[in-house]
Amino acid sequence: MSAVTADEGERQETANTRRAGRALIVAIHAATRVMKLYPPEHQAVQKSLDELALAAVDSRGVDAELEVRVHGEFIFVNGTRLRLDLSNYASFGRVLELFRAAGVGVLRVLREATSREWFSLLTLVTTVGANSDADPDELARRLQAAGVDVFETSADAEAEEDVEEREAAKAAARRTYAQSVALTKDVINSVRMGRVPSARKIKRAVQTIVDQVLTEEASLIGLTTLREYDEYTYTHSVNVCIFAVALGKRIGMTKLQLYELGVGALMHDIGKSRVPTDLLQKTTPLDEDDWRRITAHPWLGVLTLFQLRGQQELPYRAMLVAHEHHMRRDFSGYPRVIRPRQIAMTSKIVAVADAYDAATSRRSYQTKPYPPSAVLQEMRDNPRRGLDPVVVKAFITLLGIYPSGTLVVLDTFELAVVLAANPNPDMLSRPRVVIVSDGRGNLLQPPIESDLAATGPDGQFARTIIKTADPERYGIRVSDYVV
Amino acid sequence: MSPNSAPPHGGSRTAVDPLDSVISEMLRSLARAVRSFQLYLPNNPMHARAIDGARAALVALWAKTDQIELGVTETDFTHEDVSIFAESDRGGESLPWLFYKDGIRSFEIRKGFELRDLPRFLGALQAVRTQAGGDEDLVTQFWECDFECFSYKYEEAGGDGYTAPGAELLRGGAPSGVVDSPADTEADVGTYGAGASQFARIADFDSTLYFLEQEEISYLHQSIREDFAGDLRPSVAAALLDTFETQTDPTVREEICGILENFMLVLLSGLQFRTTAFLIRECAAATSRAENLLPSHRQRLGELVNRVSDPATLNQLLDVLEDTRLKPPQQDLVTLFTRMNSAALQPLVSHLVRSRNAELRALLEEAVTRLASSNTEELMALIGSDEEAVSLEAMRRAGDLQSPAAVVHLARVLESTSDTTRSAAISALAQIGSPGAMQVLERGLDDIDRDIRLAAVKACADHQFRPVISKLERAIKDRVVRDGSSVEKNAFFDAYAALAGDSAVPLLESILIPRGMLARKEDPGTRASAAMALGKLGSERALDALRKAASDKEIVVRSAATRALRGGA
Repeated sequence: MSAVTADEGERQETANTRRAGRALIVAIHAATRVMKLYPPEHQAVQKSLDELALAAVDSRGVDAELEVRVHGEFIFVNGTRLRLDLSNYASFGRVLELFRAAGVGVLRVLREATSREWFSLLTLVTTVGANSDADPDELARRLQAAGVDVFETSADAEAEEDVEEREAAKAAARRTYAQSVALTKDVINSVRMGRVPSARKIKRAVQTIVDQVLTEEASLIGLTTLREYDEYTYTHSVNVCIFAVALGKRIGMTKLQLYELGVGALMHDIGKSRVPTDLLQKTTPLDEDDWRRITAHPWLGVLTLFQLRGQQELPYRAMLVAHEHHMRRDFSGYPRVIRPRQIAMTSKIVAVADAYDAATSRRSYQTKPYPPSAVLQEMRDNPRRGLDPVVVKAFITLLGIYPSGTLVVLDTFELAVVLAANPNPDMLSRPRVVIVSDGRGNLLQPPIESDLAATGPDGQFARTIIKTADPERYGIRVSDYVV
Repeated sequence: MSPNSAPPHGGSRTAVDPLDSVISEMLRSLARAVRSFQLYLPNNPMHARAIDGARAALVALWAKTDQIELGVTETDFTHEDVSIFAESDRGGESLPWLFYKDGIRSFEIRKGFELRDLPRFLGALQAVRTQAGGDEDLVTQFWECDFECFSYKYEEAGGDGYTAPGAELLRGGAPSGVVDSPADTEADVGTYGAGASQFARIADFDSTLYFLEQEEISYLHQSIREDFAGDLRPSVAAALLDTFETQTDPTVREEICGILENFMLVLLSGLQFRTTAFLIRECAAATSRAENLLPSHRQRLGELVNRVSDPATLNQLLDVLEDTRLKPPQQDLVTLFTRMNSAALQPLVSHLVRSRNAELRALLEEAVTRLASSNTEELMALIGSDEEAVSLEAMRRAGDLQSPAAVVHLARVLESTSDTTRSAAISALAQIGSPGAMQVLERGLDDIDRDIRLAAVKACADHQFRPVISKLERAIKDRVVRDGSSVEKNAFFDAYAALAGDSAVPLLESILIPRGMLARKEDPGTRASAAMALGKLGSERALDALRKAASDKEIVVRSAATRALRGGA
């Protein structure tokens, strides 16, 4: 019994560390924001610093030590990874950005720090971070010079490990992606041939995608830039699944909810397996009858999912997603609705992911994909598309204004491919990119990764996106860079 | 958890580590718990005892270490490559094989596993063992458990189709060469939607556009909560029926009919009453609205309600419900029953009278009342049921409904040999009170059973059924009644007085006060009954007779007359 109690205690301790850690990050963010707006002696600054000092004491109180570590896209407080959700993602993003810009990987608070000491630290972090060529030791030197010895800072000790980890994550993502595409192909072809696909395989594929998104979503999202014409039917389902699960994670769904959402997303077009292939691949305009047969795929999806055996429980959520993913908010989409219904949130999420991936892909009747940023803009601005505006907004916070795989022209006339959205929500238009050609059009070998949020010595951004571009025009295959 | 290669085999350690025996014991307890999970229901003490045993063994293990990592082979669990648990005698049922066959090659159990994870772990093993189709595996089941203190490494099983396809997509690496300089290009590609520009706009830089407001965050969270808390089945049923109505292709409708038939069984077996009721109602709506509907499809959908109302189907459901603790919303059950057709009434009534489940009985009571009110013919037919309890219940309800249609069935019952049944029929007839019912009741006055005669006479009086006066008069004059009990005498005399009014006084007075030498003197009890009846009449003539009897020599008569005069009759 005592062991049980001790273990419960441990769990409670972790929860306390997380709670205190989140409060600390929010307090750091609040203090830096107020410090930007008001002079140091202003009451609001004092108040926010006092709150920060208290939050730090609280964190120390839980663990008798305080270490904040920035690692990849995550923040760890005393070794516990803080969980990101909608209520704190803005603070997390900004603090990540702040620390990263100043080259801070680890911040240790050696004893109880006063409000004044926190003020010094945040001022120096901001100043050092403003210099894009900041030396990781610069902050430590300046702290020492200022006589502030309560903090110890260092670059991320695991930077090298990071690279390895990132590579491993990318490899895992590639494996997951390939397996999922293969599985989808298998499922769709099984249905075409009148066989019953394996529910276990579907489960396994979605579970792997969920695991991958939960641990390192960026790599998997990057893979969605693989938009092969020949494999469209299959890659599209996998891409929609990845986008939907990532968006679900962003809006706070639990692991098991993500799983159900993922199954729905992966199977959303299963009804197409009962639409003739030549019709799906038709490149000429669709006549009325063609259109009628294509728009049958949502309800055909429901019928198909009813035929899936080997399920302990019928996949009701997947059926709803299949049925509703082309319904508009006013039900003007298809299929026609007779009985009153409320479109499920999971269907709305899949509808957004589906619309985005379809428009940005090359398909039989869409030889030229639309630029991702334009697609997002259209989804945001055109209510006739019938997408849920809040879900679209959340989707844009996930992908950034320039989503992964977008080819952009920088103000230096360099061409760059967007790798990932900036985690700082203030910097959604300044993603992490890979510069693929210089200003004269020479392809760079190897290409150079760059964070467009980085500023030069003058405090100005070193590079800025001026427009998006058509990769085909330049003969660039974006997936070569992202994947 | 992750896919991984098998752990190394053939380790060098041979001596038995003291920890090994503790782990061994823990695994044995765990295996016992697995079997108990399989053999006993959760409310069985053996079930709880086995889990407690496994918990205790785990706690004992945590006194030695905080975590253990075990390898899995086809026949054994190993610790540091030494076999510490084998179930070779159990063949395909063995625990190591269960892990091994699904690709699990090692697993780690950490302190705390015994709290939240253990029941899930056992549940997952049970789910895999009991599945019929064999399409689940331990890896997918374990994943869904979302363990906190248990992790595992597995190998992908071969032949999953995960290999070649898709891999060709993953060509990578940056190409080299020269591309057009963006500075030299002018034309822009077409854009998605009207008005979009490839040039970055100031508005696009305004990230605040993309901040989710608090109410937007709340909306998302609330929607997710509702999405995952709600029952999806009605929406799925609605999707099927919408498709049925909008798609006129007979093959599609044929397929949907088949799906709906199976779906209803799935719903019933899952005790999803509300959705079943919804399905039945909406099937009726669909058949009434759908265009170009083939008669065969109309019939198949119509058959759905017949199938669920069929006594054989319904009895199965009721038997399950009898042994189940009903979950809210229980009213769903009433909704379902009242959607059924008349064939359902018999099994429902039959179960209602037998049920020992108070919750279910209350629901059946309500359902039967509602169903009976719209299916009186079926209810009447139940009056003649061979099952006495059903017949009694049907008569009770026929009485409650005061349905004249029941009279003919009740009249038939009066010919039965069972006093209980005939008594119930009389009560029902009395409640109905129609002229037809009263005529049948009149026959009850001659019944051989006293209780039935009493009930009949009381009913005639209550309903002021005057055609019976002469019969009552005969009965009063008849020695059979006079020889009966005082209760029966009182009932007949009272009824006679109530129905005949003052015209009853001569007969009653003649019984109370015999006149003339040759007049027969009735027994005191009969005279007392006459006194009481006169008292109830209360007319001057009646009171005169009572005053005369107030000084009678018989104390019983005297006392009855005095009481009647005081109005105490």
